[in-house]
Amino acid sequence: MSRSRNWARLPERGSPLALWLIRAIALYLGRPAARALLYPITLYFLITAAAARQGSRLYLRRVSGREPRWRELFHHIHCFAATVLDRVYFLTGRLDYFRIEIFGGQTILDQVASGRGCILLGSHLGSFDALRGVGSTLRPFPIKILMNVEHNRALTRLFEALNPELARAIIPIGRPETLLAVQESVARGCLIGALGDRVAQDDKTVCCRFFGQETRFPIGPILLAALMECPVILCFGLYRGGDRYDVHFEKLAERIALEPRRRQEQLGVWVQRYAERLEHYARLAPYNWFNFYDYWAEESS
Amino acid sequence: MQPLSPFELEVARLLVETLHLEDVKPEEIAPEEPLFGEGLGLDSIDALELALAVSKTYGFQLRSDDKENRRVFASLRALSQHIEQQRAR
Repeated sequence: MSRSRNWARLPERGSPLALWLIRAIALYLGRPAARALLYPITLYFLITAAAARQGSRLYLRRVSGREPRWRELFHHIHCFAATVLDRVYFLTGRLDYFRIEIFGGQTILDQVASGRGCILLGSHLGSFDALRGVGSTLRPFPIKILMNVEHNRALTRLFEALNPELARAIIPIGRPETLLAVQESVARGCLIGALGDRVAQDDKTVCCRFFGQETRFPIGPILLAALMECPVILCFGLYRGGDRYDVHFEKLAERIALEPRRRQEQLGVWVQRYAERLEHYARLAPYNWFNFYDYWAEESS
Repeated sequence: MQPLSPFELEVARLLVETLHLEDVKPEEIAPEEPLFGEGLGLDSIDALELALAVSKTYGFQLRSDDKENRRVFASLRALSQHIEQQRAR
């Protein structure tokens, strides 16, 4: 099985200071005033964050097939900044700020009604936090989030500061017994949130076609669903500008069956399907792509 | 190097087969070496898969709230001892 040799390509999504600042601004000023500040902040990052700008440029070039304009780079980073700000409101329960439209909500309702859990597979496309709005709109459902705490220390602290209850729902990946707990939660009907588009160090991966070129995706979430014999439901929370979020659910697999001899190949088929849906939603909302690094670097170099 | 006991070898075979460790020979696993992180380099998904195989083969569940877990997964020797104890119950 191939293991990624990709060392710590993950940039932390904001320094502790930046996250503290965003939180302070968000909570003291309220959303309208805080949003006005996003313009100078975006401009600052556009000028100073060269690596992120380059990541944005490479991605937008691939989506549109031409050189992106400055305006488009600005729009991309602004979209990211807006969702980081909104994360504070989602986590503190200020859902009154938002209009959230839910697509495929019946998939989640049926799953919750079945009493058995599933993997809720998301991505760094848009806002996974918009899920908070789904719980209060449809009906509350039990959820735990698998997170690589080592790579997200500042983010984890933000969770703890804003919503201790939610922070307790985070399951840190990494300890041997971690996934035993996940399996027991699934048996009790818990939905397990995981993001399937970033490769962390030592992740098992598979090569998939994504926007016309091969790149590596982690197989972890799909393999986990196969081992637990539970369904995989895809979840994409797209930011549509202003106060609008669209949350899409769709069933990827009722059950992932693996034969010992064809395991890697079969996992590859499912991860490829995930990559295709991710591409589909990325085309629906191109500026929601929040992996600001050369996503295809490894295979092309 | 200390040789494996017959039962340790059996567990080592289960481990290699379950996790498809193509370049590892069961008899060459050092019994006191860590299984996870360093040593054999297994991850938490491997741990789950191993736990499922153990429960299928030996008929008892490894549970996450078991205080012993960190020790159980520490090495092949610790895992083998735990399985033997649980089986005897």
